[in-house]
Amino acid sequence: MARLFDIQQFRLINKYAIRDFSRSYKKLWVVISTLFVSLLLLSLTFSVKGALNSEIENNSKELLGGDILVTSGIDPLPSDIIDLFNTLGKVSSAIEFGTMISKQGESPVFTELRAVDNNYPLYGDIETIPQSASERIFINSQKPSVLINESIQTLLKLSFGDDVVIMGQKFEVVGLVSSVPDLAESAVFGEFAIISMGSYEQFGLDSGGSFLDHEYRIKFKNSNQAKEQEELVKSIVAYDDSIETRAPGESGQSLNRVIDNFSNFLNLVSVSAMVIAGIGISNTLLSFVNQSNTSIAVKKSIGFSSGFIQSMYFYEIMLILVLTSVIAYLIGVYSPLLANELLPEALGIDLEPSFSFLGFLNIFFIGLLVVLIFSIPSLYSISEIKAGALFRNTFNPVSLNFSLKNIAILSVLIIILITYFVFQTEQKFYTVLYFVAFFTTMFIFYGVSKLLILFIKHSYKFSTNSYKIAYRNIVAKKSLAPIMTISLGIGLTLLLTLSFVANNLKKEISDSIPSMAPDLFFVSIDRNIQSDLESFIKDIDPNVELEFSPMASASFISLNGTPVEEVVSENNRSAWVVRGDRRISWSEKPKLDNPIIEGEWWEPGNENEMFVSMDSRAAYDLGMKINDKITLNILGRDVTGVVKNFREVDYRDISINFAIMINKAFANTMPYEYVGTLKSELPPGDILAKVVEKFPNVSAIKIDRILSQISEVLNKVFIAVTAISLIVIVIGLIVIVSAVLVQTTFRRYNNLIYKILGVDFPTILKAMTMEFAVIYGTLIFFALTVAMISSYLVVENTLQLTWQFDLGLTLWILVSTAVVSFVLILLANRSIFSPKVYPLIRNE
Amino acid sequence: MSAAIQFNKVSLKYGTKADTVEVLKSISFSIGIEEVVSIVGTSGSGKTSIIMLASGLENASKGSIKINNQEIVGLKENELSEVRRENIGIVFQSFYLIPNLTAVENVLLSLEANQKFNLEKDAEELLDEFGLSHRLHHLPSELSGGEQQRVAIARALINKPKIILADEPTGNLDSVNSESMIDLLFDYTKRSQTSLVIVTHENSIAKRCDRIIELRDGQIV
Repeated sequence: MARLFDIQQFRLINKYAIRDFSRSYKKLWVVISTLFVSLLLLSLTFSVKGALNSEIENNSKELLGGDILVTSGIDPLPSDIIDLFNTLGKVSSAIEFGTMISKQGESPVFTELRAVDNNYPLYGDIETIPQSASERIFINSQKPSVLINESIQTLLKLSFGDDVVIMGQKFEVVGLVSSVPDLAESAVFGEFAIISMGSYEQFGLDSGGSFLDHEYRIKFKNSNQAKEQEELVKSIVAYDDSIETRAPGESGQSLNRVIDNFSNFLNLVSVSAMVIAGIGISNTLLSFVNQSNTSIAVKKSIGFSSGFIQSMYFYEIMLILVLTSVIAYLIGVYSPLLANELLPEALGIDLEPSFSFLGFLNIFFIGLLVVLIFSIPSLYSISEIKAGALFRNTFNPVSLNFSLKNIAILSVLIIILITYFVFQTEQKFYTVLYFVAFFTTMFIFYGVSKLLILFIKHSYKFSTNSYKIAYRNIVAKKSLAPIMTISLGIGLTLLLTLSFVANNLKKEISDSIPSMAPDLFFVSIDRNIQSDLESFIKDIDPNVELEFSPMASASFISLNGTPVEEVVSENNRSAWVVRGDRRISWSEKPKLDNPIIEGEWWEPGNENEMFVSMDSRAAYDLGMKINDKITLNILGRDVTGVVKNFREVDYRDISINFAIMINKAFANTMPYEYVGTLKSELPPGDILAKVVEKFPNVSAIKIDRILSQISEVLNKVFIAVTAISLIVIVIGLIVIVSAVLVQTTFRRYNNLIYKILGVDFPTILKAMTMEFAVIYGTLIFFALTVAMISSYLVVENTLQLTWQFDLGLTLWILVSTAVVSFVLILLANRSIFSPKVYPLIRNE
Repeated sequence: MSAAIQFNKVSLKYGTKADTVEVLKSISFSIGIEEVVSIVGTSGSGKTSIIMLASGLENASKGSIKINNQEIVGLKENELSEVRRENIGIVFQSFYLIPNLTAVENVLLSLEANQKFNLEKDAEELLDEFGLSHRLHHLPSELSGGEQQRVAIARALINKPKIILADEPTGNLDSVNSESMIDLLFDYTKRSQTSLVIVTHENSIAKRCDRIIELRDGQIV
């Protein structure tokens, strides 16, 4: 390092490094390409994540739709409260609920309907086709109008000017809504429509169901005092616990979390790619050192020290790092423009490229650590090159230098890399776990390669020439086995693991659920029409399987007298059970598919006392015990009950399931509605059309539509994930090809000798096939084992699904990877198939 | 006459304790300043080992080696590099030019190793003197064997070393090239008052030297 501070020495190092790079860059293409690809991946991840986060931060008011959002659930806020809001600024009211939208001759579609007033949106714009369509919904006429999204247009085959029916009222389709400023999930992934608040009130569209939200957004007059006014609004609605408020900073939190998790995954893949690239860098540099051994020895004989020569090569690698990281970063900076093209338009997100020197340093620093870790053992081998060999004309190839000093330096650098990375992510524990698993897997594969060589050395030796050549290639000092096992092993393991997880998840959704799932899911059925609806459906199909359950809204207040916020952390897996409004149900007897695993069901009767039955997994996560006292707010009244039992609830069958159930005798005293499921041999769309015509206020979700939406999203995510994991494989293959190329010189010489001795091309090809088959075969066993164990842990523990092995998928991945790898190896080796005898005779 | 090189009871052994080859067996000799000495002997007699030890590229197992009165046995790699830079120029049998450097760049390497910069003119003049003015910017692969060896000699001499160690410098050359090469080396050595140690199999070359050291089985005969 001191050399770099001596100006004369630095100039010399700079001169030699640039000259060497400009004349030897072809030898360093593996270093350049693998480093570039992995840095690019990292840079893309950081840039897109940064752009998404800043888009969310900069547009937090648009995402929320105001300076503050107040949600009062089923009931509207009293007019005096709204008057108070009006004194603070401009108020926009909206009502959101799920309902059916239908067209004559088409199966009705369950959609999220938003009724908005004239002030909507307070921030941003509604993007529509045609542009002025959003204004038309407010024109007061006897034939109201609606804006629909593209999905509804496709499903109902609608054109502008067509009529649709919503809760028995005809609406004219006046335009398509492309995006709304406040992100609506259903606008992006499902069915979404907008009508005016006037139409909602004029035609009495209120179904009276519980799946309805009244929302109030305020744009403060005095935006400088936003914080104080937020607090004021919160204090105004503090009288009712069920009223929720949300500030702009909180609007994108869940989206930010999703982005963080996904970018964390991408970062880990990038680092994996970089570490594998590091193996290539190490290998290439070592071969570079070995190829340059005479030049290095000559320099030593002239009087250059090993330290000087090492500094020169380090400097050269640093030049490559600077060059590749600058290009990778610049491409990364502009990647948000490409991301804009790939993101759904309905998200309304417009990402901006943003250059930051710190952002570049971040990429460069990670690259620097990886380069240092992998180049130190290679470049320190320079000290092992003896200039004395110039007199004897005999050079022994040097190997990686793992002196105690180097091991200590490498350990420190690896710890810095992991720590630096872990501190940048939210999921610190999982990141550490990933690194541990990654490095363990690397060591496993290194051990596997050594075991393979040992096994081959001690196993039966066939007498064919092909076997003998393959045997020598595998057990040779500079065998391909270790580098191929590690590089391809890690990539293959990652690809298999991700594919297994993805496949299990997709199978769960596409195969197992539809076989047991109902066809329709009725939401929010008025208790007064439930029996009529049941009879009507049974008239259409006497064999129909119908199940209705009573339902009321409740919110969790406390556990054994302690407010629930103090007992349950946000990260708790079952926090969803105690957050916000939750639907509860009741029955006389326990459901057959909800077996009790702790405690006992209650005796009938006892209308003055509330007994509670909890989903066992939620209860355990929340730390509940039998006979604990929980307080629920039911219809504005706090009620305390005793936990009597825990049930095992399997939500995967999409039948009606509740996390919280209470005793029927107590529940009968309060107002409620029904939810229901339907399974029929008849087309569910036909039944639904008849039901909606007869009962315009009934809403039902077609399960297959939901499943196809989920599958569609999952498919896109999995394609992206698989493509990313393929990058690791590609880098692994580049590394292998580099190792092959390093060996080409030795092998060409060997093959030349074989050729002179009379060994033909098919024998050499057979030997190479055998060598690859042995290494890949060994690698398959371990990659498959590691992938099966890791995917099993993810599927069974994290996703809580049943892990299944898919032989077809496994074979497809293994065979395709083998074919691609082997073809690449053959291509890289093509020059050794027809070596020229002349240079050997001439000793060239 | 003070000595440029002094070997005192120097031994060189290779291998393990159980299987040792003693290449040099406690040899002592000295080579004076401006003296031209040839080392002769059969293959394996230890000729090249003497050059390796004198240049500090090999460590003696025993004994003392002084270069211009500086003890070099036991020095660290950096210190040996310095001794070499300041005192020694080496000519190899196989030339060993750096393949991706031009003729003039190969010569400049010696100067730059010694922290002497911007001396391209000197390098070009020396190459010109060696009849290579038309080959200055050619890569080694574009030069003939004789030309390559002349560049190698220029590289060894450019730094005006006090000692030149030449290991079979004509071993890879034909007789015509061989003779002109030796003339070049001897003339330059004489003019620059340099000591020359030349390992050779050729009697004609050995006879031109001030003194001949003959080795057999690691000992001076």
